[in-house]
Amino acid sequence: MQLLEWLFKVPNGTAAVTAKDRMRNMLVHDRLELPAGKLEVLEEELTAVVARYFDLEPDTTRFDLQQMDRKAALIANFRLVRSKC
Amino acid sequence: MSGRVIVITSGKGGVGKTTASANIGVALANTGASVCLVDMDIGLRNLDILMGLENRVVYNLVDVVEERCKLRQALVKDKRMPNLNLLPAAQTRDKTAVDADQMKKLCEELKSMFDFVLIDSPAGIESGFQNAIAGAEEAIVITTPEMSAVRDADRIIGLLEARKDEITQYRLVLNRIRPKMVANADMMGVDDVLEILSIKLLGVVPEDEDIIISTNKGEPVSGTDNTRSGLAFRNIARRLRGEEVPFMDLDAKTDTWVTKIVNFFNPVRV
Repeated sequence: MQLLEWLFKVPNGTAAVTAKDRMRNMLVHDRLELPAGKLEVLEEELTAVVARYFDLEPDTTRFDLQQMDRKAALIANFRLVRSKC
Repeated sequence: MSGRVIVITSGKGGVGKTTASANIGVALANTGASVCLVDMDIGLRNLDILMGLENRVVYNLVDVVEERCKLRQALVKDKRMPNLNLLPAAQTRDKTAVDADQMKKLCEELKSMFDFVLIDSPAGIESGFQNAIAGAEEAIVITTPEMSAVRDADRIIGLLEARKDEITQYRLVLNRIRPKMVANADMMGVDDVLEILSIKLLGVVPEDEDIIISTNKGEPVSGTDNTRSGLAFRNIARRLRGEEVPFMDLDAKTDTWVTKIVNFFNPVRV
């Protein structure tokens, strides 16, 4: 049984994908030299500003720090329900 | 003559800076260029060993800087190729023995004598590294596909970017690629690393046991035929000289049940 498994097992490595994802995330923070916790504070403040103008769908706001070439991009996603103005 | 001063650097130790320096130096010399290899790893001299020149070192870089000898007296001519020279590091001093201005002056003098001045940088990002890049106009960043090496390479690229005015070009050599592990998605491949670092590629060198053998013999692998790593280094030298050389096809096929049986009875080195 073990022999059959050894013969026909298709490689299904995920270590490369995991490594790449971890690297991307790590380097975005490394390059910005961002002190721990600062990003969370910024996200809270941004959310508060948008919430002054719109009702936001609860628990749907997403922030994502992405690599763009050797720079970083902060992608924010707010789900707006209606204007407060 | 005004040669090119190229620093070979990595951040992390043990990724192959010295091996790459020796091999690219030999390969460049084989194309007919005059080359001087400079070992800037003061206190941890190794480039002489890889070149098989350890018994011929008389004076060193620190002797030149402190004017105990003339530059020409400190240069060790390679016995196989008269156009290949080594300026050895001092073994008994440390990184503070030379400063950035002295290094700039030394590089100026060397580039009036040689087509290529290749500087083997020490690991780290402190004074030893800063001095090694002080006189350079180009850089080769070496990394392996491991996360820690890539992270350190990224830091080095950031530091090189900050000196854009002096160092006008830097490219990546990805060392010790293991095609089979990449094919099985067990480790990052060339494209992954390039995407993460956003840097131009100069060369890809496969993991190769011949490197260990050649180091033991003191004959860099790029000087001998029939090795994959040697060919990779020769290609790097040609690209440095401006030739367009296609990158090596390192794609390994994933194992099927047939290759598994064949390999079981006939183990091959990968």
